[in-house]
Amino acid sequence: MSKVYILGGAQTDFVRNWRKEGKGMVALLKEAVADGLENAGLSYDDVRDLNRDNRVSCYVGNFIAEMYTEQGHLGAFLTEVDPAFYGVPSARYEAACASGSVALDAAQTKIRVGDYDVAIVIGWELMKTVDSKTGGDFLGRAAFYEKEGKGIDLPFPKLFGKLADETIKKYGVDEKRYMDALAAISAINYSNAKRNPMAQTRKWFMSFEQANMRGTETNPLVGGRLAVSDCSQVTDGAAVVVLASEAFVRERGLKCRPVIKGYGHRVAPMRFDKKIYENASSEYILPWTRQTVLDAYKRSGLSVGDIDVFETHDCFTSSEYAAISAFGLTEPGREYEAVEEGLIAFDGKRPINPSGGLIGCGHPVGASGVRMFLDLYKQVTGTAGGYQVHGAHNGMMLNIGGSATTNYVFVVGEE
Amino acid sequence: MLKIDTVTVIGATGTMGANVAGIFASFGNARVYCIGRDLEKVKKTLPRTVRSVRADSIAKNLVAADFSSLEECVADSDLVFESLAEDIDIKTETAKRVGGALRTGAVSCTGTSGLSITRLAECYPEGKRDRFFGVHMFNPPYNLSLCELTPTAYSDRNVLSELREYLERTLLRTVVEVRDSPAFLGNRIGFQFINEALQYAEKYRDNGGIDYIDAILGPFTGRAMAPLETSDFVGLDVHKAIVDNVYKNTDDFSRETFVFPEFARRLVNEKKLGRKTGGGLYQLVRYDNGLKRKTVLDINTGMYRDVIPYVFPFAEKMKKYIAEGDYSMAFERLVNNRSQEAEIALYFLLKYIVYSLYAAGEVGYSTESADDVMATGFNWCPPLAMARALSTVSDIGSLVHERLPEVCEAVDVDSLLLKIKPSRYDYRLYFKSGN
Repeated sequence: MSKVYILGGAQTDFVRNWRKEGKGMVALLKEAVADGLENAGLSYDDVRDLNRDNRVSCYVGNFIAEMYTEQGHLGAFLTEVDPAFYGVPSARYEAACASGSVALDAAQTKIRVGDYDVAIVIGWELMKTVDSKTGGDFLGRAAFYEKEGKGIDLPFPKLFGKLADETIKKYGVDEKRYMDALAAISAINYSNAKRNPMAQTRKWFMSFEQANMRGTETNPLVGGRLAVSDCSQVTDGAAVVVLASEAFVRERGLKCRPVIKGYGHRVAPMRFDKKIYENASSEYILPWTRQTVLDAYKRSGLSVGDIDVFETHDCFTSSEYAAISAFGLTEPGREYEAVEEGLIAFDGKRPINPSGGLIGCGHPVGASGVRMFLDLYKQVTGTAGGYQVHGAHNGMMLNIGGSATTNYVFVVGEE
Repeated sequence: MLKIDTVTVIGATGTMGANVAGIFASFGNARVYCIGRDLEKVKKTLPRTVRSVRADSIAKNLVAADFSSLEECVADSDLVFESLAEDIDIKTETAKRVGGALRTGAVSCTGTSGLSITRLAECYPEGKRDRFFGVHMFNPPYNLSLCELTPTAYSDRNVLSELREYLERTLLRTVVEVRDSPAFLGNRIGFQFINEALQYAEKYRDNGGIDYIDAILGPFTGRAMAPLETSDFVGLDVHKAIVDNVYKNTDDFSRETFVFPEFARRLVNEKKLGRKTGGGLYQLVRYDNGLKRKTVLDINTGMYRDVIPYVFPFAEKMKKYIAEGDYSMAFERLVNNRSQEAEIALYFLLKYIVYSLYAAGEVGYSTESADDVMATGFNWCPPLAMARALSTVSDIGSLVHERLPEVCEAVDVDSLLLKIKPSRYDYRLYFKSGN
């Protein structure tokens, strides 16, 4: 079994609205792949050479381009990016908002077993092709569409609003304390995004106070008790990472490349009400999310104390809140402590989402898993620039699909 | 860093004043006295200020006031920002009042886009001139982060660097220090381009004029909005004030391109200023049934006619390549197509690079400053990124010598081109397909 090394990667600027630029997925992929390969020290000629001996393969993470851009068969679509991809094994992987992670998982597995030496992972989504109501309906397909999505305005904010309700109910946490914690999570993510030159909201204004003024004209409620400030963004974007085998790293004489130390992958019941029914027997609001984290700790041989930086799936503030105890940063039901005490702040001991996360950096759904992974890579190689967490040796990411249905965790660190 | 808890914005009912008040009240979390001539009008403007930064939470930071309490507000402020009409008499009179009331240690700024900062500084008592600066933001400041910061000979450099830090770190501005020179840097470069485009519209009026030039210099040449549409959006009166000021008070190799064309002068006299007056270079005709028709001034006849959907082969090719992310192929078409339209487009882009390098030396303190002003003040592909874009297909020096012979005679182009550096902006974002 080979170790899996990370050679590098890139993301597009999440500020960009590709429709307004008059560009589509071909341009998006051309730019992202070219930048990702360049950062990883590979050229299209390298891809050609590797492919001659069947040593390179591609993994495309995307949720629902069929709806947003009327295009399927996305693995094969890379041949439109560059002729170097002619003949390269490539397929599309889908698990709603965890599509990027399932692509990464396929890639790492192929490297680990020695089928290929280089794996190019590309996550992408173009979401600004439609208005927000239509887009919200498309995203409803990440839940049980017929029962949880169809005919409902913005189904996902409502599902994660229910997660907020259930969290308050399960732990009996003071409602104001809980909502303050969610507002603080929003403010931290927006604030972190200001240091990230690729973040969608880097020039936007947000404060704890504004995030807490839910139900106003500038912060309307969108899903139960959750308001716009509690939501991640609608984003166009792509992220690319390149993985490689031990043999390739040795052959190229590459030094100090980080590795994938562990992962977890668990699937919870599709329907939200079944999740809640099932969690009655657990201390955790999202027990399968917690289990995914435990699996990753076990596989990596690390524990929460070894993780210096986290990237989590804050599709809503209520999901980041639940992630805090799932990571093991607090006891379940006491997540607010990590927020109130500054543990997860950028300058805290266990920062979450120095990138700004899905709320601050943006959430092109099929790209998010790859983007988080890329950010862990940047953190542990000291190349995160303005949002570098000092002394980051190991990082953990949690990427979820649906209402925390598909759960993926990766641990990335120095070898 | 400066501790700015209380700010006075004078002229807070104007577009710029209202928006700047929003920036101080949000990112700065400052209590802001919003001063206007009419208290009721100020009160009515506050909701616009709140909306400008999309944050109800700042409403509590805004205090409406009128000129009768100017001294009181100023005396209570850590920073005063004057955003009145571009009239030297109004500004000097206000500067004297502010100067009299300003408390020791407070900072005072003018948002003027062209008047002499030094002259305004001299309206302040001697002991307070050292804390007076030009702070020129672009509209709307929530979307355009550029802030041109101008010290004077009287300025205290420590205060200047503290103010710079406040503007950058707290208000998230892209701060560019510029000299006290007419129109400063962004408008000097931007309106050189726009005004020459307006001159070209007159020169090529038999080819279509205004919409003809805009079709040649559209978003596929590295900008969100074509140049003459930009002029129409900004207002021909503002455009005229900027270029007249530069023409009158500067003398560089491109001075004649700042002459405001006669046909446009007539429009200004007739108060056809652009979008804000319902028509100028363009006119949007709205029908009762909701349909809209975009018309444009025919310079020859003085009448408005439908905009012509020009099809230039080089432009169509460029748009097609840009749409697919094949930028260098798009630039190859621009450089190697020898139609009149492609030559005009390339002339403008090359002139833009050269003039930016020149103006950056004249008005700014670094070559990169030209990049910052054009990217964050105009949302145009900045000049260094433009040079990088064109250099993917051709040598910039040879192109400039070939296409700008008159400019090469008037100025030492080779020395200017030596100043080209890598840009920190990605040119790909600025080249758009579509119209």
